[in-house]
Amino acid sequence: MIQIENLVKTYPNGTQALKGVSFDVKKGEFLVVIGLSGSGKSTLLRCMNRLHDPSSGKINFEGEEMTALKGKALRMARSRIGMIFQHFNLVPRKTVMTNVLTGTLARTGVLASIFGWYSEEDKKKAADYIKIVGLSGKENVRADNLSGGQQQRVAIARALMQNPKVLLADEPVASLDPATSHSVMQYLKKVNEELGVTVICNLHFLSLVRQYASRVIALKGGKMIYEGQPLDIDEQWFQTIYGEDAVEVTIN
Amino acid sequence: MSTENTLPAKHTPSLGNMKKVISALAIDTFLWSYTALVIYKIIWEKLIKNVRYPEFTWNQPLTALAVGFGISVVLFFTTASLGRAFQGLYDFDENETKLGKPFAIWGYFVIFLTFIAGLHMSQVSMREFLSDSGLEGARRIFTALFNPNWNIIEDALFAAVETIYMAFIATAFAIPVAFIMGFFAARNLMSSNRLMFSIYTLTRFVLNMSRSIEPLVWAIIFSVWVGIGPFSGMLALMLHSVASLSKLYSEQIESIGDGPIEAMTATGAHPIQVIWYGVVPQIVLPYLSYTIYRWDINVRMATVIGLVGGGGIGTMLMQYQGLAKWNEVGLLVIVIAAIVWFMDWASSKIREAIK
Repeated sequence: MIQIENLVKTYPNGTQALKGVSFDVKKGEFLVVIGLSGSGKSTLLRCMNRLHDPSSGKINFEGEEMTALKGKALRMARSRIGMIFQHFNLVPRKTVMTNVLTGTLARTGVLASIFGWYSEEDKKKAADYIKIVGLSGKENVRADNLSGGQQQRVAIARALMQNPKVLLADEPVASLDPATSHSVMQYLKKVNEELGVTVICNLHFLSLVRQYASRVIALKGGKMIYEGQPLDIDEQWFQTIYGEDAVEVTIN
Repeated sequence: MSTENTLPAKHTPSLGNMKKVISALAIDTFLWSYTALVIYKIIWEKLIKNVRYPEFTWNQPLTALAVGFGISVVLFFTTASLGRAFQGLYDFDENETKLGKPFAIWGYFVIFLTFIAGLHMSQVSMREFLSDSGLEGARRIFTALFNPNWNIIEDALFAAVETIYMAFIATAFAIPVAFIMGFFAARNLMSSNRLMFSIYTLTRFVLNMSRSIEPLVWAIIFSVWVGIGPFSGMLALMLHSVASLSKLYSEQIESIGDGPIEAMTATGAHPIQVIWYGVVPQIVLPYLSYTIYRWDINVRMATVIGLVGGGGIGTMLMQYQGLAKWNEVGLLVIVIAAIVWFMDWASSKIREAIK
């Protein structure tokens, strides 16, 4: 459903974050991207929904060339790609409900969204998704007063409001404790399996990768150096990906 | 090779280096011409020869310029060139202190010379400060000020109310303009393409221009335009508030987190929606705080602006001062101090409460 071809991203300061990455994403899979900090994982994800503009290369999303889109067409394409972030990136000082409703901004008019006029259908849907991520009763709580794990679940609900075909998750559990990490990963798995949303997720912990991923790719220095099944990553691959001296840290 | 020998500097004749050499020479020429002129006009003519009405011809600064240029060219090849030091054209050891170098000593000398010239130009005189007639005058005015005339308290309070309202309206009118201008003047929102960036540059330019003209000057202009009174003072304060609030607002926008902006963009939101949900919630409280602070400043400024005909308690102060009615002035000073103190206290309390 997504074909990425020879993707290159050079930042204005000269850093080459991606040096020609190509891979395919199949519908319904749970693809995990691993690699050291600075290996280009975040850049890869941000290029896919054009938060960053790739320098060259192609991104084909359901037959549409992402790199060629502009204006409204780009916004519509983005709305079919949900995204969650390491630091959750919720709108501060707003309630959980408002935050989840911002997932509908692409289909809500500019004026309507400024005055907070969302359709009844969307409001009902938002309430449903809040329930699905286990936060019912918290609709009118300020989102920045929630715990980290709860905030990430609000972010998942917000992304689901977009009716996404794909969910990009940029290190979704990197600032959470192990127990909460598992709970957030469980919700992502649920989204993937029950709602059929393809998930592309950056992760640091191999134990999580083995447990949740259906396929893994590894980046190193902006290049793809591994592609395969999570259980096939042995000691040797681990050292190739993370460096000679790396020791695996597990979380349970 | 060690860098023990600190002279001479890099002599790579590149274009960038050429530019630095020219600016270094310009700096040196300016400083040496200045030194020559100050030594001749102030130290020599005024302080040593004590000429009462020294002659001035344009030849003097021109000669100083020529002398300065000559000295600069000669000293450029030694370690006494401040211009070269400023432009980083010396190859000094990083770990070495530069405070004892010849150019630094010359720098101290220029500052010392300016200090001497400054004392002379501002006519600092202990004799005047402690003279008998002077002290007598001071005693008279302080006695009057400490015996305020409470009979005019009603008028003073009315004028004070006028001042506070005028400052309030000036702030209120400035908010919507500054709110919009703040976005245009925020670098992080405006650097996405060339058109946006030129709007940013233009906005910054206009804001800096209007901010660099003191509200006192605006008050004079508006008092001719709309007549003496609170309206002209209000306009002057409003203009100045727009400029400074826009700057404060835009700096606030520049310091917000990217996260919510990124998240809103990723949902496919329109740029206006991105600003409304990604930017605005992060800035409302700081904006409110700045605005209240601005009102506080405007009340204080309004009293000063009254002195040039901007209405309110300042105008009243100017009138009594013109008539040398020091007891009345004493009362007005007390009322002004009370307002300023109250506004200061109230605004800091409010700002604390909304944090």
